[in-house]
Amino acid sequence: MANFSPGRRRVIAVLALTSVLLLTLDLRGNQVFDGIRSAFSVLVSPFGKAVEVVSAPVVRLWRAYDDYDRIVEENRVLRAQVDAQRSAEIAAQNAIIENQDLLALEGLESLASYDSVTARLIGQSPGNFDQQVEIDRGAVHGIRVGMAALNEAGLVGKVTSVSPQSSVIMLLTDPSYAVPVKILATQELPTPVATSTTSTTIAPDAVSVPDASSETSSTTPSPTASSSTSTTVPEIVRETGVLRGQGEVRLPRVYFIASTTSFGRIEVGDTVFTSGGSTSLAPPNIPVGRVANVITRAGTAGQELEIEPTADLDRLQFVRVVLYLPQSELGG
Amino acid sequence: MGGLVSSWPPRVTLIGFILVAVQTGVAPELRPFGVVIQVVLAFAAAAGAASGPSEGAMAGFVLGLMYDLGTGTPLGATAFTMTLAGYTAGWGRQYRIEPKWWILALLTMAGTTVGESAVPFVRVMIGETDVVSSRMLVVVPVVAVASGILSPMFVPLARWCLRIRPTELRLPADA
Repeated sequence: MANFSPGRRRVIAVLALTSVLLLTLDLRGNQVFDGIRSAFSVLVSPFGKAVEVVSAPVVRLWRAYDDYDRIVEENRVLRAQVDAQRSAEIAAQNAIIENQDLLALEGLESLASYDSVTARLIGQSPGNFDQQVEIDRGAVHGIRVGMAALNEAGLVGKVTSVSPQSSVIMLLTDPSYAVPVKILATQELPTPVATSTTSTTIAPDAVSVPDASSETSSTTPSPTASSSTSTTVPEIVRETGVLRGQGEVRLPRVYFIASTTSFGRIEVGDTVFTSGGSTSLAPPNIPVGRVANVITRAGTAGQELEIEPTADLDRLQFVRVVLYLPQSELGG
Repeated sequence: MGGLVSSWPPRVTLIGFILVAVQTGVAPELRPFGVVIQVVLAFAAAAGAASGPSEGAMAGFVLGLMYDLGTGTPLGATAFTMTLAGYTAGWGRQYRIEPKWWILALLTMAGTTVGESAVPFVRVMIGETDVVSSRMLVVVPVVAVASGILSPMFVPLARWCLRIRPTELRLPADA
């Protein structure tokens, strides 16, 4: 090394140009690079396992220090949520079963009709500008680039890199992530369908006790009870757009919302699902999140929605990769 | 040992494997202020601080390539930023024959600052959006301070990798 000191300007220029060349080749898609990546992941695997074993006590100590207060508070909040959602879950399960039955009867596809692979997270994003995780299932398990990943709560992201035994998933908060979505807003519009007025005579109060001084008995005017009945008809508002990640700190946004008359009806709390379609990498009807904020922009820029993902991306342990490829990828 | 074995790439590659494993396995778990410490970048800068601009740039390039291969980032993106980091740290190193440990730590921090700051700009150049944000004001200082703390360990390791003695004066060829 002591004899190896070429001109530093030449060195930096050559290295910078080499980097740019590699970037260009890689971004255009290069199977040689993909092969090198796969080989590298195999080579680095034993180092990773050794580091994991050696560092486990340190990591556990750090977690104990860093997470304790947050976990206690989170546990309290979660217990309250579990109590509140127990009854809702029963109703939801029933609705899901009915929905699947109906879809099956009509021969329509649902999320349950696709095969999937459950995987454990083995790594998180090593950088500060990417939102990605690594899972312990790869090409040999049927996973391909582009497939959607979700957990029990909803959409997590998509597969961006596949090795034989592992895959990398880009989270939906990553600035490079985009997926077509639909926003469903169920609004209950009061529609009076029947109005009735009922008069009722309440007997006990109407009877007067016979007075000693009077031979007659009288009946007091009866109170009149009036009730009006109305029925609400749920109206489902559908809007479509493209959800894009905004980085770790900011919420993902839905862009390209058409400014239609129905759009104004979308409100905070409305639900967002993947819209699917022949070119979408994600199958339809995966829960994505809820509308957290409706952003109205000036002019013809249209409106945007900030979406709070239903999946807690900071606490992922397992994900399910849906073995789904759209018709455009299948050549169908 | 002679030939390729006696040159520095095998040692840098060996340390690179370990550091990439640490970066992908351990660093994401330890997030001071929510920031992932960049150990590979810190080592690239430490290599520059320990040797000089040319060696630092080359070590940074090799380590950056390994980082790109190990993490799935576009090949060449991190190699470029780590080249800058090693070069920057080494650029300051050439003016001191025997710098104190804290000067080496400062040089490592400077290299890391340049390298980490360059990451979002490289990403923008390759078409990514919303990468440059105010969060950099937290990320860059934390990464830099962490690399400064790691430098007393990384600088001797880098000297071993690059086969240089602490007192060895490294003059660039065109100086």
